[in-house]
Amino acid sequence: MNLAVYIGRRLLLLPGMLVGITLLTFVISHAVPADPVAANLGDQAAANPETVAAFRHRWGLDRPVPQQYLIYVWRLVHGDMGMSISTHQPVATDLGQDLPATVELAFAAMLISVAVGIPLGIVAGVRRDTAVDQIARSSSLIGVSMPVFWLGLVALLVFYAWLGWAPSAGQLSPRLSRPPVVTGFVVVDALLAGESDVARDALSHLVLPALVLSSYSIGVITRMMRGSMLDVLGEDYVRTARAKGLPGLRVTLRHAARNALLPVITIVGLSFGGLLSGAVITETVFAWPGLGSYAFRSATSLDFPAIMGVGIVVASVYVFANLLVDIAYAVADPRIRMG
Amino acid sequence: MTHTGRSCATRPEGRLTRRDLITAAAAGAAMAAAGRWAPPRTAYAAAATARDTLIVAPSYVIRSLDPGHTLEPLGEMICHAAYDSLVTLNGEDLSNPRPHLATAWTVAGGGRLYTFALRRDVRFASGNPLTSADVKWSFERVMNLKSNPAFFLDNVDALTAPDPYTVVLRLRDPQPSIIPILSNAALGIVDSKAAAAQGADAGPEAKDRDHAEGYLNTHSLGSGAFILESHTPNQEVVLVRNPGHWRGAPSIARVVIRNIPEASTQALGLERGDLDIATGLGLPNAQTLGRVPSVTIRNSQIAASFVMMVNTDSELSGSLANPKILQAIRYTLDYDGILKIAGPGATRMSGVIPNDLPGALDPREAVKTDRDRARALVRESGVASPRGRMNYASDQTSFGIQYPVLAQKIQADLAAVGITVDLNGLPGAVALGDYRAGRSPALFGGYVADYPDATDFLVYLPGRLVGKRLRWPATASPAAGELARWGDQAEQEADARARVALLRKIQRRLLEIGPYVPLFTPALPWGYRADLRGVTFNSVWGIDGFTVRRA
Repeated sequence: MNLAVYIGRRLLLLPGMLVGITLLTFVISHAVPADPVAANLGDQAAANPETVAAFRHRWGLDRPVPQQYLIYVWRLVHGDMGMSISTHQPVATDLGQDLPATVELAFAAMLISVAVGIPLGIVAGVRRDTAVDQIARSSSLIGVSMPVFWLGLVALLVFYAWLGWAPSAGQLSPRLSRPPVVTGFVVVDALLAGESDVARDALSHLVLPALVLSSYSIGVITRMMRGSMLDVLGEDYVRTARAKGLPGLRVTLRHAARNALLPVITIVGLSFGGLLSGAVITETVFAWPGLGSYAFRSATSLDFPAIMGVGIVVASVYVFANLLVDIAYAVADPRIRMG
Repeated sequence: MTHTGRSCATRPEGRLTRRDLITAAAAGAAMAAAGRWAPPRTAYAAAATARDTLIVAPSYVIRSLDPGHTLEPLGEMICHAAYDSLVTLNGEDLSNPRPHLATAWTVAGGGRLYTFALRRDVRFASGNPLTSADVKWSFERVMNLKSNPAFFLDNVDALTAPDPYTVVLRLRDPQPSIIPILSNAALGIVDSKAAAAQGADAGPEAKDRDHAEGYLNTHSLGSGAFILESHTPNQEVVLVRNPGHWRGAPSIARVVIRNIPEASTQALGLERGDLDIATGLGLPNAQTLGRVPSVTIRNSQIAASFVMMVNTDSELSGSLANPKILQAIRYTLDYDGILKIAGPGATRMSGVIPNDLPGALDPREAVKTDRDRARALVRESGVASPRGRMNYASDQTSFGIQYPVLAQKIQADLAAVGITVDLNGLPGAVALGDYRAGRSPALFGGYVADYPDATDFLVYLPGRLVGKRLRWPATASPAAGELARWGDQAEQEADARARVALLRKIQRRLLEIGPYVPLFTPALPWGYRADLRGVTFNSVWGIDGFTVRRA
């Protein structure tokens, strides 16, 4: 099937999927035995029927639940994701603020994961049972086993507090002002504004949380790549390539690694989706103002519009991540047919 | 090829041997130990350009920076910086409200008429003069928005501004606590002309017509020492010095309030000097930082009362509602152990009014742990195996106190005399909802003063806020009715000494007939860089940036 047609079909499914996601999120969040009044009004205010009525009316909570959902979907179709009960600003604005920070962090973490995990996996597969292989396997085991919360705090303690190599938590030093918002990505916006010192500061703040966040993905990608390499290195065509006298590096990279990469592409795509949808622990430890933190706060304060907004964004992320994985498959392996 | 060291035949190339692993592990441990045993890093110099900037990391919850909607502590802190109120408090003192925008006030009409004389030299940051019209407008807006702070002015019948520098409040009933109430930042005075231009409304339909909150969340329209420069929700608030402030410009030019949710991250930032003040440290971090010379740790008492409460409906609370069992609970608890959980600075409370407010009972009057007496009371109750359930917020930590730890402590203490308490941990919002709906069988929690006056804690009386939620109406018994009447009297008593005496009498009676076990007045562990002066933590508004300066 033509690639463009395939992409088009997948994209056509997206709106229906999002409606389904909103319905599921709406039902689950309203099934929680708690009232947004409790999460958002003080004790005295919550005891005043007039104040409670005003609060419910303001946030549309005095309408029947099915009507609330239909109003929400109607507004969503017109591009309005509603107002956040906790921040008192449009959910779309909140997401526009927080999502770029998560994308920045996830992208950096994925870059590190791929740059480290794939070569390490290749070398571990080629040099099976050597010191390099042992180190790679141990590192990947540590990476997937280490709790991110603990790793983040230790990283801050060692690299920030003791060695002074890393800057403080946050996206930017508190003594610097954020650049004017164009893309929402602090590094990019700083470069666009010609504030190279701010860009450098933002990049330096990105390194440690990205390294911590990448620890799990590095472990997974390394193991996957190694296993895939071991499978491929035993194939006849690799043996044939060696027998023909091709240089070892060429055999490894052009013949073995390229084929071994296919299952790893899936993992990379899914990992990226996972990173984007909420690295809440890393964001908490490093005071990174991202989607994960926003999702957590929305859930605990029963901020229904924000919860729905996060659900839509996360669902979209996974859909696009899976789509990109499928496209990458098709590019990497012309034998694969779509549909 | 020449060989050095071992023969290749005995040491396979590239193989990791056991000796290699042990050597690497030992080297790693040595490095870690060297780092840990290195002398504590002391003075991290703040950046050269940063002396007039204050970086603060609080417990970061902001719902609104609009005085008409705010009530959470950080919202109060920011509004206190940007808006002036009629009355203020000095530093951490909660007992003596002082003139601020109001230079003086008189009380007449049997305690119902308050006439305030305003300062004449105050201008808003916009340049507009502050007059009585702004005071009237600001208060009416709070009342008519019917949002979080509206209850502060529930007893206000009318507001008039007979001349530009006089405001008259007429109350429905006498209420001496109106003076400390007016110190609250939610009652800060807003530039009415500028606010109206941004869609603010103070009329009777303000809750539907007012559209200024969005603007006021990112801009301040006050006369305070600072001006709100920017607010990025859930990230950062920046305040800048108001050069035209009537008390003189503050020493600090810029205050950056950052959201750093993790307590240990705050602690590291404070130690390194990247933060100047941190109020969300938690107890373990505060104790560790106490050994760092460049950091000052304080434990500031909070106007809050931590109390264990039992629902008077025995269908919910089981045998815990039995009066003898309740008495037994009071004698069973290990209060020293509970105070350890509460942390340094927390003090034992005899009644329900926190120790830092006039009207509190002397902590020395508090019940002492006496397990023999408790067991005797259990036998007297006639209940063979007393049992009940206690809700608690399983995800909550307040003032460094971890609720699950305190819940388990109470359970263990009661088990020592044969009272079985089944713990029911719930998410905070669910636990709070159950409590407000009167469905909690038993629970403990902290009631934090909405305003710095002991009468705020009359909520524990039958038929009042807390009493109702424990299904304890004023009609429950003649004694409950009498207690409720005493509470009304205390609220209206103009003489300070008489009021204190009545409040103490009320608390002693409450302990006889009420479903409460007073625990402690909490303290907040917090810290700041040792080169700062004038740093205080007020229980109502937190840090006051106006008084802070660098040494």
